[in-house]
Order: sequence, then C-alpha cells, then structure tokens
Amino acid sequence: MSSSDYSAGSGMSALDEEASQRIAQTGKADIIIGIPSYNNADSIGQVIKAAELGLAKYFPRFKGIILISEGGDIERTRAAVDALHDKQYFENAFVSRPSSDTEIFVTKYRGASGKGTAIKAIFEAGRSLNVKAGCMLDSDLRSISPEWIELLISPVLLKDFGFVTPYYSRHKYDGTITNMIAYPVTWALYGRRVRQPIGGDFGFSLQLMESLLAKDVWGTDIARFGIDIWMTTVAICEKFKICQSFLGAKIHDDKDPGKDLSPMFTQVVGTIFSLMDIYSDTWLRVKGSRPTAIFGFESEVAPKPLNVDVDNLISKFQTGVETYMPVWRQVLEPENCDKLREVARLDSLHFELPIELWIKCLYDFAFAYAKLMDGLSAKEIIEALVPIYYAKIASFVSKTQNLDSHQAEEAINQQCVAFEKLKPYLINRWSSE
Amino acid sequence: MKKKILVVDDEYNIRLLLKEELTDEGYDVVLAENGAAALRMIQEEKPDLVTLDIKMPGEDGLSVLRKIRETEYDLPVIICSAYSVYKSDFSAIAADHYVVKSSNFDDLKKKIREILSCKE
Repeated sequence: MSSSDYSAGSGMSALDEEASQRIAQTGKADIIIGIPSYNNADSIGQVIKAAELGLAKYFPRFKGIILISEGGDIERTRAAVDALHDKQYFENAFVSRPSSDTEIFVTKYRGASGKGTAIKAIFEAGRSLNVKAGCMLDSDLRSISPEWIELLISPVLLKDFGFVTPYYSRHKYDGTITNMIAYPVTWALYGRRVRQPIGGDFGFSLQLMESLLAKDVWGTDIARFGIDIWMTTVAICEKFKICQSFLGAKIHDDKDPGKDLSPMFTQVVGTIFSLMDIYSDTWLRVKGSRPTAIFGFESEVAPKPLNVDVDNLISKFQTGVETYMPVWRQVLEPENCDKLREVARLDSLHFELPIELWIKCLYDFAFAYAKLMDGLSAKEIIEALVPIYYAKIASFVSKTQNLDSHQAEEAINQQCVAFEKLKPYLINRWSSE
Repeated sequence: MKKKILVVDDEYNIRLLLKEELTDEGYDVVLAENGAAALRMIQEEKPDLVTLDIKMPGEDGLSVLRKIRETEYDLPVIICSAYSVYKSDFSAIAADHYVVKSSNFDDLKKKIREILSCKE
C-alpha cells in the first residue's frame, strides 16, 4: 500500500441505509458503545447488560447508545437483544433504571467481512452522532462487568485521553501473539509500553475515530484481525494521548497456540509488518521507550489456566525446518539460519530458542515482508515464520513453567527490553536497502 | 543548558545525598519533601525528570505518579524506593523505571542518563 493510498480516505459506508436513517433520527449522543459481533448470540446478552448498566450507573447524565455491528446471522443477534426486554438486571444489580432506555441498534455491516469493517460501521455511527467518547467491547466476553464502561470511557471524557487500551490479568500462556510479538514490537519500535496493543476492548475519542476513518485501509487485511494493532499504532504514531485501564481477568475462548493458529496470526503479524513500512519515518527516529499511564483498581484474580503442548510445538518447528528452509535462506541472515538448524537438533528437555535469535529472525521477517524481497509473497513469508514462532512459544513455556504470574510478567518485560536493545539490528537492515 | 531533576523523598538525608550525587553529574537539582510539594514544583520548576519515593507521609508516590501522568503525560519519572515489593503493583507500570535504593547510585544515574539522552 502506498502512503498516498493510506491517507486517501475510505469509500463506501459500512452502515446500510436503514442503520444510517435510524442514526440520523437519533441525531446526537454523548457516548457510543460498539460491539462488533460474528454469530455471538449466545454470549452477547451479557455484554449488552454490562454496557447498559455501566452507562446507567456511571454516566446517567449522558446520552448513550449501544450499536451491535453484526457480520453473521443478524436475526439471532436481534433475538438475543429482544430477550433482554424486561431489564430485570437493573434491579438485580441495584442500579436505577434510566427514565428512557438506552437505544440499542443491531445492524449488519456492509463491506469486507471482518472485525475491522464491523468497527468501521461503529465509528461511522459515532461520527454521525458527534459523540464525545466511545468504547468497543468484544461480543464473546464472559468476564465483563459494568465497571469496564467507566474505566474505558472516563479517561476520554474526564482526562482528555484519545485512546484507552485494556490492561487484563491473563494467564501467562494466554495471548501469545501479544506477548511474543505485538507488545515487544510496539515497545521497541514505537517506544510506547502498551501491554495489550491488540486488546479487543478499548475506549476512544471523537478525534481518534475521525482520524482512523480518514485512512483507506478498510478493504485490506487490516479490516479483519489486524484492526486492533493498527489502531494502537496509529494512536501512538499520530501522538494521541494513550492510557491503559485495568479491567481484571479476560475470560474468553482461549486456545492452545500450537493446535489452533487461526487466520488471526497472519492478519495481526502481517499488519504489524505493513505498519513498520508505513510508519518507518516515525520508528526509525524513536529512541528508548516510555511507559503508559494506567487507571483502575488492581485486584488479585486468577485467570483460567491454559495448558500448552510443548512437545507438539517443538515437533512442528523441527518439521518446519526442512519445509521452510528454502524461504528462510532468502529471508534470514545466514548466521540466523544456521543457528535455527542447531536449535532444531535440541531434544525437548534442552530445547531453547535464544531470545536474541528470535528477535533477529522476527526483524529479518519484518524487513522481508515490508520489502517483499526476492519475489516472495506476503503469505509465503508469514507462513514461513510460523514454525519459528512455535519454537519461541515452546521455549518461553519451558522457561516459565515454574514461575508465578508476576515473575512471568517480568520475563515478558525483559524480552521487550531485549527487543529495544536489538533495534539497531533492524535499523541497519532497513537502512541497507 | 543543564537538565533539571526534581527529587521527591520525605527523608531529608536522602534528598541531600541525591542532590549532591546528581549535581556532581552536572544536573540542576530541586527538591520536594512530599507529594503535594512535588506536584506544585512540577508546575513551577518544569523539571526534565523526576525521581520519586513511594513511602511518604500523606500522599504516597504511586498516587503522585498517577496525578503526574494525567497532566504531564511525557514527563519521565523514575521510582526510587527502598522497597522492591511495589514493583509488582500495577500503578508502578506508569513509571519509566523502578530503582531500589541502595548506597550505590550508579543504577539510578545510568537510568537518568539513558532517559534524558532519548529526550534529546
């Protein structure tokens, strides 16, 4: 994507005629709560209840609306909303029911199928309603509470932040793409320590929404799972004030990363690499890293344990060495390639992918992806990274299995420091072009 | 122009010791004995960096840090505490670094140099 395309502005609206009309009738609102959904009728009721209660409890003087942007079966989602009609949950939660109920819209978004387009529809509605602030909530959340609304909205409304990222308490092996790639790359390249740069629950200002809508990325992979890291990166690079809010545990459908590597990996990592090209002028100038403000109240929560099959990950890496060596030889610096061969010879008891080697490999892949070197396609490059990513997870799990969550967190932060120290390696590769 | 550092610590001797050490490093050093004074001096003195104790009478350092981050979004803050236990408090994340106090200030001075060189 060229930089002129990137800033050209988006085309067709993601809101259909009916939704546009309903929003026009509403006219003005102060807060929008968006819930991107894809066939989550079974869990979305809980999220809507929390959103309604949060608005009533913490923002009773503000006009809020809830917009569900559905990509799948809209009738089932509408039925889930209709099932909430008695509003009994206000009484159960000791929250005064507002004099007029919060408007809840359900719309089927238009455009490329994916989370990004669902979010685009919500942003367009927020812009039309000229809201002061908004937040986005994942539709499959099971650990959400009304307090999340306060924590995601208040920093924007009361303290002028442009973007509020979530800070969850997660099991040490949950969120491996975040821990191994998204968090350290955001830390090292863009110099901002944002713990959950691809968290699906976040708050935003009208200004950020307008800035994001003005980018022409909505028909690309970014409009799928890449949307979260894209928003965080844009917010950092375009100097929006960012903070984090502690939301407690995130309980969702977690998976063993070795058994279920969804399209999410390709889309998130591809977006991270694409953004490195788009924002190279920014990150090449950034020195060091800065912390990010944090709000909320920390409570000790024990996230659901997640088991990872380390032997399976090592086996996939070892198989991948033979399969992907031809691509690795094109993408990686020769010494990194040789070291990977040595790592593949280690048995599971002694298996370790040194952190420095992982970082250099990832930086080599980022460079190859951004420059599409040697005629390799973006898809081929990301696929060839997967076995090394498996090796990294296996190595991390083996090293941290006896650590508690605080110690594991410290280990993840140490990795980020290593990413920052090795940034000159990437700069040298980038500048050698 | 000399970089200015605000040292926030309720212990008189620590304030003086840090002032001496950091002045020798070529910094202009100003002192605050509690959180309220620190917040006031940040506005008045416009320091380039703050070293912040945690355990202080009245408002503790982590609360001061939260207030700093609301108004002075980009002001570097190094927590300088006798206790390592607060490192795992999530509020401490908003600091640039966390240094456990000792008789040797090399680590603190190194972190200060690193942060201020990134700001240049």
